[in-house]
Amino acid sequence: MPTTIVTGRDITFTLATVNYDAQTTAVTLVNAPVITTYQTLDGKAYKHIDDQWTLNIELLADWGATSSLFEAMWTAFSSAPNTALAFTLVSATGASFAGTAFPVAPTAGGTAPDAQTDSWSMLCASTPVLTIT
Amino acid sequence: MPTPTSIATNIRGTLATALASVAASVYSTVPEAVIPPACVIVPDAPYLETTTIGKSTVRVKVNLVVSAAVAYNNNAGALDNLEQLVISIMQAMPTGYVVGDVQQPTIQSVGASNLLVADLAVSTYYTQETI
Repeated sequence: MPTTIVTGRDITFTLATVNYDAQTTAVTLVNAPVITTYQTLDGKAYKHIDDQWTLNIELLADWGATSSLFEAMWTAFSSAPNTALAFTLVSATGASFAGTAFPVAPTAGGTAPDAQTDSWSMLCASTPVLTIT
Repeated sequence: MPTPTSIATNIRGTLATALASVAASVYSTVPEAVIPPACVIVPDAPYLETTTIGKSTVRVKVNLVVSAAVAYNNNAGALDNLEQLVISIMQAMPTGYVVGDVQQPTIQSVGASNLLVADLAVSTYYTQETI
């Protein structure tokens, strides 16, 4: 059976229950594990002690647009910076990643002559939950 | 009654309307005959680029070329006219349109007349929706 190829076009992305596929050019959910290494008399021993997940998003700026993600993020960051926002990543093959991530301040401005873009690195509040259907 | 948007109306048509203020004939598609000075909006390569994730919304980057053309009667005068036309096109560019580089002017023969033509790269983003 051939491998099912899943592309970025197969992903749907929602933040605080709103779909933002139209502004999102890339989205990745990345883990940075903390593994402590001990040098014992018998060689190296490893202990996985922590995880820090990060939701990385590449975006087209949409200031002023209807249902603007940038304005919503600005409001979330300025009014409730310690309240994590729910996010969901769903691929076409049915794998769904759900979690919460803390808001970040959107960057304003751009570089001529390109379109205004931004990159967000949102720290996740906990380990995302994978649901396969 | 809601109607679906189209690239012809909402991208090329909007650009042609904005360029109507320049002192030139404006064509949103390639015309059979060009009356200089003129601005002709033609697709660039690649024409439509998918840049966003997901399939729920169709959003593409539209790459266009605005060809600025003036009559080539006198070399120095034609280049001056072309430069002025290109600058006026840049000034008239509507919001949301990314202006790129202007390519080297070339002489093109259209019918019985020679034209001095330079291509200006323009791009913007289009979302398929119903308004």
